[in-house]
Amino acid sequence: MTKPKATLARRTFLGTGALSLLALAARKALAFGEAARLEFAILRHSGRFDVRPDALPRLAWEVSKRTSIETTPVVRAYSAVDPDLFKHPLLVLASDGEIPTPGDAEIAALRRYLSYGGFLLLDDSSATKGGAFERSVKAFLAAIIPGAQLTPVARTHVIYKSFYLLDGPSGRTNTMPDLLGIELGGRLAVAYSGNDLLGALARDSLGTWEFEVTPGGESQRERAIRLGVNLVMYTMCLDYKEDQVHIPFIMKRRRI
Amino acid sequence: MDPSLYNAWRFASLTLLPEWALVGLAGLLALALWWSFRGLKSEPKRARRLVLFSLRTLVALGIFALLLEPGLELRAETRVRARVALLFDTSKSMRLPATSGSPTSRIAELQRWLKSQLPAIQELATRFQVDVYGFDKELAPQDPQRLATLPDASALAQGPTTDIVSALQQAAQGGTGGRPLAGMLVVSDGTDHGDLEQGLSSSARKDLEKLPAPVFALPIGGEVQKDLAIDKLRVDDFAFVRSQVSVDVTLKARAMPSLDVPVVLRREGQVVAQKTVHLDGDGTAEVKLQFVPDRTGKFAFTVSVPVYEGEAVAENNQKSFALKIIRDRVRALLVVGRPSWDVRFLRQLLKKDPNVDLISFFILRTPGDDAHSTQDELSLIPFPTQEIFQEQLRTFDLVIFQNFNHRPYHMQMYLDGIASYVREGGAFAMIGGDQSFAAGDFADTPIESILPVQLPMHGVPPIDESPVSMKLTEAGRRHPITELLPGTAANEALWARLPKLPGLNVLGIPRSGARVLLSSNDDKPVLVVGEAGLGRSLALATDSSWMWSFLAAGQELGPRAYESFWHAAIRWLVRDPALTPMRLLAERQTFEPGENPVLEAQVRGNDYTPAAGAQLVVQLIPSEPGAQRQVMQGPTTGQDGSARIQLPPLAPGAYKVTATARKADGSTIAEAEEAFVVAPSSLELSDAAPRPDLLKQVAKATGGRVVSASDSIANLPWRDPERVEVGQRTTKPLWDTMSVLAVLCILVAIEWSLRRRWGYA
Repeated sequence: MTKPKATLARRTFLGTGALSLLALAARKALAFGEAARLEFAILRHSGRFDVRPDALPRLAWEVSKRTSIETTPVVRAYSAVDPDLFKHPLLVLASDGEIPTPGDAEIAALRRYLSYGGFLLLDDSSATKGGAFERSVKAFLAAIIPGAQLTPVARTHVIYKSFYLLDGPSGRTNTMPDLLGIELGGRLAVAYSGNDLLGALARDSLGTWEFEVTPGGESQRERAIRLGVNLVMYTMCLDYKEDQVHIPFIMKRRRI
Repeated sequence: MDPSLYNAWRFASLTLLPEWALVGLAGLLALALWWSFRGLKSEPKRARRLVLFSLRTLVALGIFALLLEPGLELRAETRVRARVALLFDTSKSMRLPATSGSPTSRIAELQRWLKSQLPAIQELATRFQVDVYGFDKELAPQDPQRLATLPDASALAQGPTTDIVSALQQAAQGGTGGRPLAGMLVVSDGTDHGDLEQGLSSSARKDLEKLPAPVFALPIGGEVQKDLAIDKLRVDDFAFVRSQVSVDVTLKARAMPSLDVPVVLRREGQVVAQKTVHLDGDGTAEVKLQFVPDRTGKFAFTVSVPVYEGEAVAENNQKSFALKIIRDRVRALLVVGRPSWDVRFLRQLLKKDPNVDLISFFILRTPGDDAHSTQDELSLIPFPTQEIFQEQLRTFDLVIFQNFNHRPYHMQMYLDGIASYVREGGAFAMIGGDQSFAAGDFADTPIESILPVQLPMHGVPPIDESPVSMKLTEAGRRHPITELLPGTAANEALWARLPKLPGLNVLGIPRSGARVLLSSNDDKPVLVVGEAGLGRSLALATDSSWMWSFLAAGQELGPRAYESFWHAAIRWLVRDPALTPMRLLAERQTFEPGENPVLEAQVRGNDYTPAAGAQLVVQLIPSEPGAQRQVMQGPTTGQDGSARIQLPPLAPGAYKVTATARKADGSTIAEAEEAFVVAPSSLELSDAAPRPDLLKQVAKATGGRVVSASDSIANLPWRDPERVEVGQRTTKPLWDTMSVLAVLCILVAIEWSLRRRWGYA
């Protein structure tokens, strides 16, 4: 079970303020083409589909603050059959319980979405290994991508070096040692976090961190933020960091 | 029967009995003799035995002689004179100097010798039939008198190559009346490029040994002459740009001093590789010249070595070849101002394309970003501007700026270089975004000068945020970049169905010659292409072409339009031959000297339809340094846009041809290049050093010998195998007389009477 954090830190307050400013500043700086900016989309379904409403705007803010990627704090929810879903090549599905089995039209649309370049981030907000979310997600994915199974993403995968050099996944908890994933056409098309990644990023209406991060505390939260940044960077740059030119630099820094 | 008709006779058997019968009868007679001999064993007196056996043997022989029916054959015989073949080398190598530095050609030397031998030939003709031939790779009858007195000796030596063995075989089979061959004389410099090119092989030796008469050889050009030649060049038919090319050169030296020879490889006059090889007088040496071609196209290359004093042949000190340099893969540099969906889909497309070698640099963090980490916790690398825009720039076929502003990276110093790279044949594409075109501070920079479109004036908003529906322009309907589907209507319909663009970079006026292929419905340019010097450039005023892939896939159109568009754009930018409006193709890679080189031109207009009636202007550029270019009026293209260009006969060497197609008003439609070589196909002139040693081997293999110029050919040891021909014959039986029968009867009677006297029954 997650446990709300009661205090309002000075740093959190400032962060929330900056996030609000970002929404204003973004309109001015990014006048050209909404589609050029990263806007998170979440998959709407009949279950609880938006259990961490403040996490993705926070991640958008962190991405914008830390990288050259321009983002918008807006998070849009789409059903699987909504054609506008394809305006967002990054789709998030997070819940703390069972998700419903998709219908035929949804399966076809999501299969098309993933086949033609979409990326689906699954986050278990319950952070319960073998829980309802995990079980239902497996059935959900089996319907969309028959024969494909979630397998651990190797620690050498570019997702751990697309911006930050990371040793492994992180989140509100450390329930699962690895991200799981499914590759399609040589790229990671589905990533599954069993550690409530968005929970580590979620803030309440007053701007305080909504949940305590265990067992690593704030450093673990920072690693979770970095993983979120890396995931976003990966969806936009794919295996850019595996180009030959980067390898010596990365190897050197890994040794440090 | 008139005995005066016959001048010869011989004994002959006239029996009609078959051989087997004769053998059988002889056997019976021998058996009878043996029985007789056994019957005489009881006779104690040896003399009697001997007498009786002798008489019986004589009778048996007499009987056998009767069976053979001996006779006399009378013959009217005539003697046929044998034939002598004189073969004179009339190949082109005979036009070369007889000896090093000599003003006299080998053919003149031959002519002088022939003149001195005319009386000897006349004398020879009294004993033999003398057949005189000129030969190269073929044999042709010649009149020795005419050969000896022809004013221009070199006019004789026109044969493209020399094949001595073939000439000897043809001469041996020639002649009239089946005359026997008394011998052959070959007068040649021995520069054989037929069976004997590599020396006297075992098969050539067998062929020579089968000749029915000895061969005498008179070497022209006397001693082995000093010569250095490029014997062979080995190079692939085509090579890949930026990949190492090897040219294997074999040098051949004869009678040269020991020396270090610089071997130079030039591309159209410019040195691209050079090596020094040591040669010890005689023999061969191999050297590998290597270079890395930096651009595609067809080029004329020449390998050369210096011409040393006293060399027999200077022409063989260089050799040319034409080489097509093609692209293995398009090496593309993608520079990105910030990650975006447009970047992600273009990278995915380029990475998947096996024909593209993608080098990309994305700005992942700007100076204003705070990564909350140390540098060592990041995977970021410095943006290597100097390396990619100065050191490596010319290794790229295509440079793409995607939503990239150069200002923060202090790149002003490289912009000139990028513009020069494009003007000299490179390719450049700028893709829109909020940091691109005017919004990327490219106005009034060298980059603007290579764009196919001007950037808006200062003060004009660089971005238009209104959603845009696109349409194909007139030029876009025919251009290969925007041809997503075959058929104009289907293609236009597909473009109309593609998702709207969320906004545009504002562009200015297209440059002269540039083509707007896509525009908004209110005619703002979306996609503009054009030429920049020798290079090409493309401007795409949106950062949302990715929607033609992913969003179109959501609309069940699939990503095909996006893929087709970018593949075609890249091929057009790097001048993929399949998308080149004009093509020029030589009929062959190598033409013979004296032949008219022919090239085929195919011209299409900017709209990619055949350019009928285009006037071609041809520029012929010899690769020899300092050689004069020739500009000539070419033909006019036909209805299908094609034309055949026939050039005048050219001297040996490598040539580049540039053809420019022009409209009636003089404006240029397109231009294309081609390279070819003019060189003799045979080595007759390039490897033409005299080979007296080879002639000696030929003569020896046939039982002949080398003769000297002072030897009279009348006195050579010709064979004299006269042929006897029988014109008329008759026979006269010798056994058909009474005396033969009487002798036989007497022998039988004597034997019978002796037997009676000595008491035999």
